Amino acid sequence: MIKSKVLIIDDEIEFASTLCQRLKLRGMAAVDVHSGTEGIASLPKMNPGIIILDLKMPDMNGIDVLEKIKEYDPSIEVIMLTGHGSSGSGMEAKEKGAFDYAMKPLDITELLSAIEAADNKRSKA
Amino acid sequence: MKRHGHWLEKLLPSPSEDQTTGTGITRGYKYFSRGLSVILLVMVLVPLTLISFLSHYQYESLLQEEEMAQLVLNLEGGQSTIEAFISELQSVVKFVARDDRYEELLDPRELEAFFVRLQNEYPGFADIEIIDSEGTQQAYFGPYTLPEHNYSDQTWYKEVLVHGVHISNVFSGFRRVPHFVIAVSREHPHKKGHWVLRVTIDGKTLQNFIDTINTSYADDMFLVDAECIVQTQPQKYGKIGEKCILKIEEDIAANKSSKIAKKQDVVGENSMGMLIVKKTFYGQEITHAVVDLLDTPWKLVLVKEQYLYAETWLLFKIKLITMFLTCVIVSVFVILEISTAITNHLRESDNKRQRLYSEAEHTNKLASIGRLAAGVAHEINNPLSIINQKTGLVQDLMEFTDDFEHKDVMAEAHESIQNSVNRCKTITHRLLGFARQTDVQVEEIDINVVLREVVDFLAKEAMYNQIKIGFDLGEDVSKIVSDRGPLQQVFLNITNNAIDAIGDHGMITLSSTQIAPDTIQVKIIDDGPGMPEEVRKRIFEPFFTTKETGKGTGLGLSITYGLVKKLGGDIKVTTEVGKGTTFEITLPVQQSK
Repeated sequence: MIKSKVLIIDDEIEFASTLCQRLKLRGMAAVDVHSGTEGIASLPKMNPGIIILDLKMPDMNGIDVLEKIKEYDPSIEVIMLTGHGSSGSGMEAKEKGAFDYAMKPLDITELLSAIEAADNKRSKA
Repeated sequence: MKRHGHWLEKLLPSPSEDQTTGTGITRGYKYFSRGLSVILLVMVLVPLTLISFLSHYQYESLLQEEEMAQLVLNLEGGQSTIEAFISELQSVVKFVARDDRYEELLDPRELEAFFVRLQNEYPGFADIEIIDSEGTQQAYFGPYTLPEHNYSDQTWYKEVLVHGVHISNVFSGFRRVPHFVIAVSREHPHKKGHWVLRVTIDGKTLQNFIDTINTSYADDMFLVDAECIVQTQPQKYGKIGEKCILKIEEDIAANKSSKIAKKQDVVGENSMGMLIVKKTFYGQEITHAVVDLLDTPWKLVLVKEQYLYAETWLLFKIKLITMFLTCVIVSVFVILEISTAITNHLRESDNKRQRLYSEAEHTNKLASIGRLAAGVAHEINNPLSIINQKTGLVQDLMEFTDDFEHKDVMAEAHESIQNSVNRCKTITHRLLGFARQTDVQVEEIDINVVLREVVDFLAKEAMYNQIKIGFDLGEDVSKIVSDRGPLQQVFLNITNNAIDAIGDHGMITLSSTQIAPDTIQVKIIDDGPGMPEEVRKRIFEPFFTTKETGKGTGLGLSITYGLVKKLGGDIKVTTEVGKGTTFEITLPVQQSK
């Protein structure tokens, strides 16, 4: 059972809300917001343990958002979402402190195992 | 500067000429090479020829002037000496025939005494006679007796009365030896009229004198009279008493009428009344000069057989011709070499430019299509993710819901949608892979091992199609420093294409060779159907495919091309319809940075 609260930050509303619904179906506490700014602003109120963050967003670059999150609370684990063929960007995000990355179109089982691993890491800390 | 229409532009081969066959452009370079040679040759040879001709004529005229000056100098010398001699003889005769001596001279003893004294001084004096005012001989001393002879109707006598002195032509007369006469007239001491003293002088006197003054310069020197009858014996040109064989009278007539007697003759008269003629006489080039001797009926003729500077002139001509020919040969050789070198250089740079241009064009094409592909892939990826999520959600919901009517059918439909999404994922993945700038991870690789791995991977497929795959791997091929992944992809793509092209029953051979210390070559040869030229030209273009719709993306070979280039190598294809296709991949042993 995933204990951490999951925040999804993605400008693609349909994608974010659907993913949010699917995670809720699996018993997770999940919330979705649709821009980087909104995501950073909601951190104190929501207090998420795991954030699923899109790399490409119109208002703010995913990497910048990642840095802000890590500044706010380094214990929050971030899973980056990248487009296909952008594994380089995923690697870069990992260097900047992201827990893992997953490629779109998303394989749900892959994402679930990444969330589980992140949650485990948090509970051990 | 306006370059279009410049005359040199017409000469230069145009790179826009027919390049598919190459014949047009080859002709263009030949034309340029020839044109350049002709222009350079004209620029060199025309001034050279002009200078040569100019120096030829300049030197010739200089020598001729020198020659003329020599001739004039010699003739002048001869003229003045003979004139002085004749004038001396005249003075002697005039001295003897003083007005008051008439009576004295009529005395035979006195006449003899005078004559003997004269002969002592001038041995050429042959006889002496005194003629009275009626023209009758009054006294004579000499070897012949001519008593009381009357000269009154003779021309010379009339002339001597008018002019006071007369010098005759050389003649033989009844003496039968050549001689000439000097006569002077004096006033008669007692009567009105003139008496005349006439002396005969041996022709030998004149002959000896001419022989003495003739220098080694002249080839012949003699006297002629007004009718051009030779007066003294020439060494070569004629006989005494005969018409001069040099036909001087014609030259004189021609000079008077300002016409040239013969074509080759040059007739001219200088300021001192000398007539100088250059002519060919029996094949011998001669120059002769004629001048009137003052107070005599004679003309002095001087003959010069050849140019004084004949040897110098010949030497100069030989030197000039040798120099001219050497210059011509050397310039022709150098110019041909230069124009060939320039043309070759031009051809090479044109070819290089053309090659670079086509390569740049191809790279450009690939790059823009790559960007387009990447854009399209990204755009499609987003809606695809949504479809993926929505389907996933529906599947999740069905999973967490109890059975309902048509649940199985719906699950099956979702499965099918999911599969389609996955297929789309593969396509976008490939498109992005085509455009992606992957970092090259280099390591030391044995190319033969890579080729075997690739074949292992395709062995089953080949076996099903009864296609044999053989190796011809060079044992001494050096290991290369390269990126394994792209290399595998390159050989896999080409071998896979070869299997597809053959269909079934065929042979594929993979070979590796070291073609240079820093380059290796891999050949993938199939005996499939081959390709026509128009297909061969386009096979590296993205989205170009000959496979059935849906079976090929048309990206395989263009990705391969991009990968080989990225690895610092080159790829070429040769093919013949019905015989097969060969791909040649050259790779550097060390990757250049």
